[in-house]
Order: sequence, then structure tokens, then C-alpha cells
Amino acid sequence: MTLDQKRWVIGGLGFLFLLSLVSVQWLEVSRRRHEAGDARAAVSTPAASRQCVDCHTQVSKGIVDHWTGSTHAEKGVACVDCHKAEAKDADVFSHYGQQIATVVTPRDCARCHPTEAAEFSASHHSKAGNILASLDNFLAETVEGSRVTFNPHSPTPGKAVQSVNGFAPANSGCQQCHGSLVAFQANDGGLVTVRDLKPDENGQPTNPEAVGRIVRNESGKPLFSSTSWPNTGIGRLNLDGSTGSCAACHSRHDFSSRRARQPENCGKCHLGPDHPQKEIYDESKHGVAFRDLIGEMNLDAKPWVVGQDYSAAPTCATCHMSANLRNGMKITHDPGERISWTNRPPVSLVMDTDANHAVVTETDPEKRRAAIADTAEAKRNRMKQVCATCHTPDHINLFYRQYDDVVINFNEKFAKPGQAIMSALAAAGLLTKTQYDEKIEWTWYYLWHHEGRRARMGASMMAPDYTQWHGMFEVAERFYMELIPEARELTAEAARSGRGEQARRVNQVIDEILNRPEHQWLVKGAEEQADAINREMQRKYGQTRQER
Amino acid sequence: MSDVRGWIGERVPVSIDAVAAMSNEPVPHHLKRWWFALGGTPAYLFVVQIVTGVLLAFYYQPAPQTAYESVRYITEEAAFGWYLRGLHKWGATLMIAAVVLHQMRVFFTGAYRKPRELNWMIGMTLLVCTLMLGFTGYSLVFEQLSYWGATVGANISDTVPVVGPLMKQVLLGGDTYNDRTLSRFFILHGAVLPVLLILVLMMHIGLVRLLGVTELEFEGEDPKTAKPFNFFPEHFYTELIIGLTLMILLSALAVLVPVEMGPRADPQVTPEVIKPEWFFYVAFRWLKLFSGTTAMLTQGFIVFVMFGWPFIDAWLVRRFKYAEISVWIGVAGASAIMGLTMWEALVAH
Repeated sequence: MTLDQKRWVIGGLGFLFLLSLVSVQWLEVSRRRHEAGDARAAVSTPAASRQCVDCHTQVSKGIVDHWTGSTHAEKGVACVDCHKAEAKDADVFSHYGQQIATVVTPRDCARCHPTEAAEFSASHHSKAGNILASLDNFLAETVEGSRVTFNPHSPTPGKAVQSVNGFAPANSGCQQCHGSLVAFQANDGGLVTVRDLKPDENGQPTNPEAVGRIVRNESGKPLFSSTSWPNTGIGRLNLDGSTGSCAACHSRHDFSSRRARQPENCGKCHLGPDHPQKEIYDESKHGVAFRDLIGEMNLDAKPWVVGQDYSAAPTCATCHMSANLRNGMKITHDPGERISWTNRPPVSLVMDTDANHAVVTETDPEKRRAAIADTAEAKRNRMKQVCATCHTPDHINLFYRQYDDVVINFNEKFAKPGQAIMSALAAAGLLTKTQYDEKIEWTWYYLWHHEGRRARMGASMMAPDYTQWHGMFEVAERFYMELIPEARELTAEAARSGRGEQARRVNQVIDEILNRPEHQWLVKGAEEQADAINREMQRKYGQTRQER
Repeated sequence: MSDVRGWIGERVPVSIDAVAAMSNEPVPHHLKRWWFALGGTPAYLFVVQIVTGVLLAFYYQPAPQTAYESVRYITEEAAFGWYLRGLHKWGATLMIAAVVLHQMRVFFTGAYRKPRELNWMIGMTLLVCTLMLGFTGYSLVFEQLSYWGATVGANISDTVPVVGPLMKQVLLGGDTYNDRTLSRFFILHGAVLPVLLILVLMMHIGLVRLLGVTELEFEGEDPKTAKPFNFFPEHFYTELIIGLTLMILLSALAVLVPVEMGPRADPQVTPEVIKPEWFFYVAFRWLKLFSGTTAMLTQGFIVFVMFGWPFIDAWLVRRFKYAEISVWIGVAGASAIMGLTMWEALVAH
């Protein structure tokens, strides 16, 4: 190599080295921006919302920070775009020159997200606020609290308690998940809700008298009732006639897809003794893999397609809502689209649904076929598309067989018999019409609503402990050791009090059930199995179960 | 200009012309071949290590409670910290590789023979210093690898007869890893070993200058045309090209394969699989093949043989009248080292 050639090579390498330093500088600056949340540098606040951002940066900086880091901010969607209201809206008020409303409803979100809003409106989620006639509601509002406001019975030192709000358990419990009936304070001491406002198809009230009763502060801002607000329950009954709350999953102000994709988000409501889906998921291999491999979940990806953007583990969103490679990458905001059993009622039902997305309960085959708009099989096939990302068809089909078998075993051995016994007691007049005033009603509720659901849901999401020990084991104990003895006790009491015929009819139902093959172990005994168990216990541990 | 030279000349009575003549010593013709011009590579990388090391030391805090967090701060928060740590880590890897390659070149060309025996031994000292820098360097991060690597290293030292327990005490500053161990490693890594390396390197380069570079002849090359050439600018340019290429390579490695944080050291949790850095794989595999004391004694013997190789080689050549005997022994030795390294790299335990 000549000297001149070497000079050229040195020049070229020197340039490349300089380039590498420039790229390092660029990476460092990008990193710094990202760390400092200086994605904000790219955020341009629209003029209409600039005053909101400036002022709220002083008075409630957190919400501005949440918004600044959001996709909305990146796209130039700001405060007024979501909170804006029309002059005729019931909840409108003037706030520093802008007409806004406090509550942002799915109707507001639908201005930009019509497909998502429509899917959500069709879902069971959006109807979760309609629990007024349910047992759960009766429990919270009547049994746990009180439908009438009552006086305190003794003083609370340090607090001037004038009256007791009996709806408190429902307000802070049920409604925070199911959604409240959003209400303003009325000048007659009552409340103004959507039922009074009677909104039209645009969400605007058609009852000016109700609007006139809304209590407003000196600046004209309507005042909410604490019985209904704050609330982000997923089936909230909004003043504009819409139902639900997008913030239930996406959170206010940062509208995070990332958060909605994580099981903890669903766990705000889907946990506890009666529907522990989050705990069930945590116990399953899916949940275990998620915890282990959360760093590989690519949770910020857009889109977020299982098998394409991540394969480490499925979350609740993956299976019930998100896109997959086999469904044309279609996301749905109706989690019911892929669920083939409903395990909510005492007896699980096949999720054939009608045009209104309600479960078809018709038993006549012809009428049933006519009523069905979307079959359970179609729903299951949609779920199988997700499963197929990681599992073979055999694996998926055999899993579903296992799940079906658990549900059917529960239905046939315990749920339908339990229902029959409770119906017989009621028909014979051995129960009052009031719910929860007799022990057997609590027993039956525990059996299907808590333990029975745990067993079925445990099987649906591969959590063996929930299926067995928190599920079927407790169902069996509740049925044999509580429900049947309590029913017998009621019939014995009836016989003693001269209602022998009623007692006979109920006992006939119980006897017919216990004479079925699956209950014979109790009636005729299972001594051979007991001997075998004892022999094995003796061999293994040197003791039998009967020993104390 | 002449006034300035005069002013300096009065105060620093060294002839500039003499310095220019000294630095412009004729370079043997074989150094026009790139592969023979790599002797300066470890020195380049050492300079990179000093510069990046000093910058990293601004942030590093050598105590068990703070070390890991300070390295995490460097990696994740300090300005250009990730880049500096990347350069330092990859610089260390390349430096060790360059020292080993340089030593192999010297070995296989017989450049250690009379009168350069002492310079070979000085070179061996540089190799040991470099490996010690590597060991103490990764011990500073206070990851699981750092903690357990240091613990295993100290326990290995302990197996050396007579002086082993003392070596372990000196290394750890106690019977076991304790609060004072990290500061000991830090002083060794950041002061003692670099200063020692600089002093020995000066001796190494001084002897190269005094004895001259071994001149090699190649088949088919006419000795009349293969004449020495000037250091400046021709060889200087070659070295500059090598230096720039190294910097670009280091920069690319630091960006494309960034250094990450391993799990924090936990004395309560012994990792199921613990391995040292790749340059200790050969020693680690050797330890697994033999019992502790045997392994240490044989390794010590091998290092001793490597130090004294110029004299052993001279004896072998006299005894067997075959000058190439060292090449075959070298091939066997290098194959064994590479084989054991690959073996350790490929198996889990």
C-alpha cells in the first residue's frame, strides 16, 4: 500500500469513527429524552386545551403527566377533545371559557373509536351495571346495608354522624366494578339520573324538568351525588344513556393499552371468592409463564398480535380480546365473543346468544335454532384460534373435553339437584319468599355462587387447585354436609308442625336425587374403598384416617 | 519558531533532532505485512482501558452495599455511562485476545530466542497482569458472577500448598468475602495492576528498541529489495489505521452488543451454573479435570514452563538438534488451550 493510499484509508476510517461517535451521541440523547419523559418534546398541546394543561400542571400535575405520556398526547388529542360537551347536555358546565363535562362516557370515546365503542356496547361488560334486580344487589343494599337511611344508634367520638347511608356497601363495593347509576344531587333532596333525564339518541336530555332540578354550584357546575361518583365501573349507567366506562380498563388520562393487556388490570374485579379469575390465571401455567417472561411480552407493541409480537405467555386480553394470526388479526372489545359456557348462573349454560347478545334459554330445538345469532361453537372456535398459536388441535380439543366434563359433572351432580331441592322447598312453602333469611339459602348461594363457580372457572383456565380444593371439594361438602341435612331439618320441622304432606313432597325429591348412581356412595356406603384407603395409609404412613 | 525551540532547548536540554532520529528508527521490511504489525494493538487497547477506566471510576463505589447500584447507575443513568462501560468491557476482551495473539506470533516465529529471552519473560508478566486485571475487573460489578467468581478464585488460591491460605487472605482481606474485599479488588484493578503493567510495558518496549525487532525472512523474498523502511510516516500510518479500526470495532461492539446488568450478588444463593469470563475457561476446565491441589500445582508448573520457555527451548534444540521442535510443542499447547476453552464453553457444567 502506498503512502497516499494509506492517507485515504486513514481519512475514511477517521470519518467512520466520527460517525460512530455521532451515533453514540444520538443514542444517548434519545435515551435521555425517553427517560425524562421527553417524548413530551414531541407533544404539541392543541390550542383549545393549552389553558387546561397550563393550569392543571399547577393544580393536579399527575393527570397532566399521565396524559403527556399517552398515545392521545402523541396524536394531538387533549383535554377538551374528550371532555367537551354540548350546551344541551345535562352535565355541561362552563370552565374557563370551555363547555365541558366531568364524566367521559363511551359515547364520547365513540367520536374517534366507533368500532371499539360498538363492540364494547354489545358486550356483557357494558351491561354489568344492570344488577338492580340481582341477588348480589339485594345482598349489598339490603342484607349488608340498608335501603333506607337510618340514624346512628350511638355517638362516634370525633365524628359527627347524622345518618347512616345504607347503600355504602353497594356504592363502594359492587358499583365500583359493575358501575353506578350516575346521579346528580337534586334540589328536592333526591337524585337526578339517566332515568329522569330520558336522553334522546344523541345523549341529550328530553326532560327539562329533571335538568332544572340538578343542583349546581355558584359557577354552574352540577354537583354529583357521592352515591354514584367517582366511579369507573365497567357497566356504569351514564347520564347520556350510554353504558360503561372505557377507563375501567384503559385508566383515565393515560389511556394505556399496555395496562389493559396485563392481568392485574382485570384483577381489579375478577378476583375474590365468587369469580377468582385473576387468582386462577396466576395459578395456571399461563400465569406462571407471564410472571417469568413479562420482559418478553412486548406489551407496548402496536398491534399486539400473539405469535407475531410475542409468544411468551397469554394474558386475559390475549385470549378474550386481542388479535391473533388466525383471526385476521381482529381485536374485539367484547370479551364474550370467545366464551362458550356461561358459568355465572347456578347451572352453567351453553353460550348460544341471540341478536342482543343475551344467552338463549329456549329449550325447544326449533325455536332455539331460530333464536340463536351466534353459537357457542362459533365462540369456542374463535378461542381455539388463540390456543392454536401454541397448542396442537388435539391438545386444544382434549382440553375442552376436560373443561366440559367438569362443568357437566357440576351441573348434573350438584347444581340441578340443588336447584330442584330449593325449588321443592319453596313450592312446598317451607321457605319464605325473602332471600337470605334462612340458613339453607346462604348454603345454596355458597355452593353455586362461590364454590361452584370456582370449580368451573378453575377448569376453564387450567387451575387444578381451584377446580378441586377450592371448588369441587367444597361443593361436595356443602351439598352433602349442609344442604341435604338442612333441607331434611326443614322437612322434619314441617312434619312436626302438621305439614306432613309438604315435607313428604320435598323428601321425595331429595330421595329421588340421592338414589341416583352418583350419590350411592353416601346411601349405601363405600366400605371397600374405605378399606383400601386405610390399607394404603397404613402402608405409607403407619396410621389410618380414623386414628386420632 | 526558532525562538520557541531555543527557549525550550535551554530548559529541556534534549536535542529534538536526536528524538526525531530515535523515533524514526528503520523498521524491518516484514512489518509491511499487517499481521506482523499487531504488537501495538494491546498497547492501544490499554490506553482505551485507562481512559474509560478513569471515567468509570468517577462513579464507581467499591463497597458491597453500593457497588452494584453504582454500576447500574453508570449503565442506566449516567451520561454515556452505557457506552463507556461497553468500551471498557469490550476493550478488556479484545486486549486479552490481542495479548494472547501477540504472544502466539512471537512464539511461533521464535522471536523469544537469544538475546530476547528476558523480554519474553517480561511479556509473560504482562500476560499475567492482563489476566489479573480481567479477574479483578469483573469482580467489581458485584453481580452473582462477580461474587461467586471471586469466592471460587479465592478458594482455588487456598489449595496452593504452603502459600495458598496467605494468598486467599491477601485477596479477600479475610477468611471469606467481606466488606473490605471489594475495595481491595478496586485498588488492585485501578491502581496496582495498571501501574505495574505500565512499568513492565516500558521495560518491554525499551528492550524491543534496544534489541531491535526480530527480522524475519520469507521464502521467495529477495533480501536485497526487502529493505527496512522509515517508522515515520509509513509505519506510523499503518499503526494509525490499526488504531482507528480498533476504535470503530470497539464502538460498534459497545453499541450493538451493549453490556447489561446480571443479577445482584447474593451470598445466600449459589448459582446452579457459575462460569468465569471466557479467558479463564481453560483454567476452569482444568480445575474440573483434576483435584484442587493437583490442578493448581500443574497449572503453576505450566505457567513456570511458559516463563522459562526460551531457556527450555534452547536446551531442547541443543539436545535434539531440531530447531522446529518448539513449533510442534506450541501447536500442541495452543490446541490444548483452545480445546479446553471450547469444551468449557459448550457444556453447562
